[in-house]
Amino acid sequence: MISDRLKNIVLKELDLDDFDFKDSTTADMVPGWDSLTHIQIIVAVEKNYKIKFKGIEILKIKNMGELQSLIDAKLAAVSTGL
Amino acid sequence: MLHYFDIEKIKLLFQYDKSDPLLFTSSMFLFAFFVLLVLYRLVYKNKTARIYLIILFSVFFYYKACGIYFLLLFLLTFINYFSGKWIGISKNRIGKNTLFILAVLLNIGILIYFKYTNFFIGILNDVRSSHITPLDVFLPLGISFIIFKALSYVIEIYLENIKPVDSIRDFTLFIFYFPTLLLGPIERASDFLPQVEEDIKINKEVIGTALFLIMSGLLKKVVIADYIGINFVDRVFETPLRFTGVENLIAAYAYTLQIYTDFSGYTDMALGISLMLGYRLTDNFNSPFKAASIADFWRRWHITLSSWCLDYIFKPLQIKFRSIGILGNALALFITFIIIGLWHGPGWTYIAFGAIHGAYLVSSIFTKKLRTKFYKKTKLASSNSVKLLQWFFTLHLVVFAFIVFRAQSLSIVADMLNQMVNFFHGEVFIQFVNGYKLIFGLIIIGYIVHLLPEKIKESVKNFVINASLYAQVVMLVVVIWVVIQFRFADLQPFLYFKF
Repeated sequence: MISDRLKNIVLKELDLDDFDFKDSTTADMVPGWDSLTHIQIIVAVEKNYKIKFKGIEILKIKNMGELQSLIDAKLAAVSTGL
Repeated sequence: MLHYFDIEKIKLLFQYDKSDPLLFTSSMFLFAFFVLLVLYRLVYKNKTARIYLIILFSVFFYYKACGIYFLLLFLLTFINYFSGKWIGISKNRIGKNTLFILAVLLNIGILIYFKYTNFFIGILNDVRSSHITPLDVFLPLGISFIIFKALSYVIEIYLENIKPVDSIRDFTLFIFYFPTLLLGPIERASDFLPQVEEDIKINKEVIGTALFLIMSGLLKKVVIADYIGINFVDRVFETPLRFTGVENLIAAYAYTLQIYTDFSGYTDMALGISLMLGYRLTDNFNSPFKAASIADFWRRWHITLSSWCLDYIFKPLQIKFRSIGILGNALALFITFIIIGLWHGPGWTYIAFGAIHGAYLVSSIFTKKLRTKFYKKTKLASSNSVKLLQWFFTLHLVVFAFIVFRAQSLSIVADMLNQMVNFFHGEVFIQFVNGYKLIFGLIIIGYIVHLLPEKIKESVKNFVINASLYAQVVMLVVVIWVVIQFRFADLQPFLYFKF
């Protein structure tokens, strides 16, 4: 499940009104999500959630579902003080 | 006597001759490939036999290109097979990273040694005015393609996008596969290796597509690229000051067409030859001169190289520089394109080619917001005349970069531009067209065919696929006959025009 918070970050970065994001949604399915805007979205996510991804974690993300679970894992690590 | 002559010829076929690799357009290759196909037909149902047959032929093919250096293929197979395997089973991060870095350094080290040693020695000598003697390094053909292909396998395993392949035999086929050895495409293991597992299906459609690709490749490479190259483009780029500006300009357009028909023609043949053996390769070109922007051009030109560099150079750099915003994107792009330039060869003109395309793309990043605003306000984005303008502008940026790519030195580029600006002599154009009817015709036909809608090209392809076997043979014979006419045609005499 893609949270509304993540969805809104992506919509704002891509200047879109709405989009039906699913776990399996990949960048090439979303208008405007190209190799340049990709990194803007990542940076916006990091800022919004106050988390920091590792380079290799970003390279491995294949779809929205994986981005969401990476965020969730980071947040869980923060809240448990890891 | 005749008998003796034949044996000598066959002996020659197995000898390494530096100046005579088995290019797909040579009659030697045609003969050798025909023999391979006959043998392949006998054994193709047996997986082990068909794989070893292709590996054996590939060894022969690369031996013909590089002599004893064909052993390099074994070295690269060994390094990358075991690197991939160990990275795959390594459990801790540090071990994985160390193995990965080691594998990358080994591959890049081999590439730099063979291709760039003397270039760097030259730079060192210039900078420190020292006199290190250049080394006598042999350049194994296609090494940049082979190493990038091998590297993609290790990188994909490191990124956990694929699992290491179990069979060293299948991996050997991936590295050795002769259709891709000399000029790519830079196949990804994830596209190629699954096909090795499957049964080979060669039906009428596959054979028809293969024939279409081989015929179109032959026509592009021999009739257009080689012919306009030898008879016109080479001469102008050799001594641009002997020609008027208008001839220099035509040579720039002609070279742009030449490099496309040469490279994509050879790739078409590689794709067709591979299909005959039952393996689909990735297409490298998608009508690049139809591009409406430079970014669009790189999505259509040498696709397997540009996507390789996008995934493995640009993205990691972009992530590294992400804290500095748009500047990070620009920096990552520019560095990527310098590397793309250098990948083509050890020379300043190649670096300049990369830098020019890098600069185009960087300026497009910085003006993107402005352009979006402009198009939104004026509602011109979907206007046909604007699209035409964008296409025209893009094409000329591409042509300019190719002048730099082809020129022997940057001073030749300066000479050509100088002739175009200060010594144009437009009146020579009519004389040129009259004097070089065939060459001018080929350039025009080349561009027109390139710019035709894809639908038309598709229907020609379907026509070849659906034709009867008899008709297909006739078409192939006609194409080969035309190719021979051009191949062995006398050189066009030099023409001097009055102005």
